[in-house]
Amino acid sequence: MKQGIAAKLEARHIRKEFDDGDSKLLAIEDINLSVRESEFCVIVGPSGCGKSTFLYLAAGFEKPTSGDILLNGKPVKGPGPDRGFVFQEFALYPWKTVLGNVSFGLEIQGMKKEEAKETAEKYIETIGLQGFENAYPHTLSGGMKQRVGIARALAYDPEVLLMDEPFGSLDAQTKKLMQQELLRVWSQTRKTVLYVTHSVVEASFLADRVVVLTARPSKVKGIIDIDIPRPRSYTDEDYLDVRERILGLLDEEVARAYRKDQAGPESTPPEPS
Amino acid sequence: MLIFILPLASLVIIWWTVYWMGLIRVLPSPIEVAGTMVSRWRILLRDLGSSAVRIAAGFCLAMVIGIPVGLLMGTNRYVHFLLRPILTLLLPVPTLAWVPILLIMWGVGDQTIIFAIFLGGFFSIAYNTATGVRGIDQDLILAARIMGASRRELFAKVLLPGSMVSVLAGLRLAIGYSWRALVGAEMLAAASAGLGFRVFNSWRFVAVDVMFASLVIIMAIGFIMERFLVEPLERRTVKRWGMIRV
Repeated sequence: MKQGIAAKLEARHIRKEFDDGDSKLLAIEDINLSVRESEFCVIVGPSGCGKSTFLYLAAGFEKPTSGDILLNGKPVKGPGPDRGFVFQEFALYPWKTVLGNVSFGLEIQGMKKEEAKETAEKYIETIGLQGFENAYPHTLSGGMKQRVGIARALAYDPEVLLMDEPFGSLDAQTKKLMQQELLRVWSQTRKTVLYVTHSVVEASFLADRVVVLTARPSKVKGIIDIDIPRPRSYTDEDYLDVRERILGLLDEEVARAYRKDQAGPESTPPEPS
Repeated sequence: MLIFILPLASLVIIWWTVYWMGLIRVLPSPIEVAGTMVSRWRILLRDLGSSAVRIAAGFCLAMVIGIPVGLLMGTNRYVHFLLRPILTLLLPVPTLAWVPILLIMWGVGDQTIIFAIFLGGFFSIAYNTATGVRGIDQDLILAARIMGASRRELFAKVLLPGSMVSVLAGLRLAIGYSWRALVGAEMLAAASAGLGFRVFNSWRFVAVDVMFASLVIIMAIGFIMERFLVEPLERRTVKRWGMIRV
């Protein structure tokens, strides 16, 4: 940890083994990571490397086999509203309207209905969905659904925002737009973000810092700070340079993961559940 | 409205044809049965009333117990482990087979009939609810947990609405099963009134027209329950939420 800058979210020697009775799988060997307040931190890694698993540990959905995750210095014991989570497949409640989805967390946390509605409406406007308050999720496009997902996670003002490949299932055009939208909202709210993706293009467009993980069992391969001012251009030379550096780190790991897959019939890691 | 009338009309036409050709000797004509329904309306209404009260009680009981048991089975591994084999064993037992046992316990009367109806509906409601809960997208549960939902909120606000498609399928089946249970149980265990009792009782007097009048009422009630209970519920919930295709 650097002097004077407190870690918002910290992972200390995280190790995660999955044990299904007769076979063990080491998903994460040792991850150390420290995310600063208001930082946009992106984790990239080859597919199946355990980056989503790490995010699930941070969310408290899973427990690490050893090591600690600290939020504001206090260990994470389970899921809780000091964290917001944005799912790849949105995870919106089909029986709730946009407004109902966004105010759900507020109501659970005991906010009065009127107040919850007001707050939710504010976030719906921030995320650019005004006019759709009473629409049901199945009537929305993928990009709009994820806008709801983000508004829902922000509405109850969590300490950190955890995002699990949030734009992974969107088409290329929508993805680009959503990345810009996310940065706009982030610059307004200054939330600490921990974001998982397999896309280097996305990582270098969004992040203050990119953490590259190795192939499974994962460790931190390298950390790259990006101080290119936003909005970044996909053709900017600095941007391309950073992208190449990340790709360089990642390529070795992707090749390693591939060789490993070829080498033997080893089971693939279970999806976090 | 056409969907409502068309099957009904075709049924009456088939009935008429069968009657007119004299294929079934004891079959009364639709008009004769309609006449009986008019002339015997007092007694049939009383039967309908008794049956309706029993079915309401038994069905509500099946719902109030079946849905929570299903939710528990769907979420708790141990409850599932414990209850599933029991339900699997009990499911194929025809409800009517319980009635003699109930008769020994409670004798002839409403208690026996209502419990038979409960048994008729309970299994399909519990089973379907459990299946529905187990099919809920895990992320929906995780999302609620990270937002701080208590166990009770999770049940009421996520698991129940999330399993609604299956719950409704269970209710639909349960309506059928509990009516069968009602009519059967009333034949064996009703002292004086009820549609099942009327069908059976008419046999002693060879009053075929009354039998058929009772059957028509039974059919109509089943239809009405589906049409005015399950369908509106479906429209207001899972159809509106886009959880099933319209």
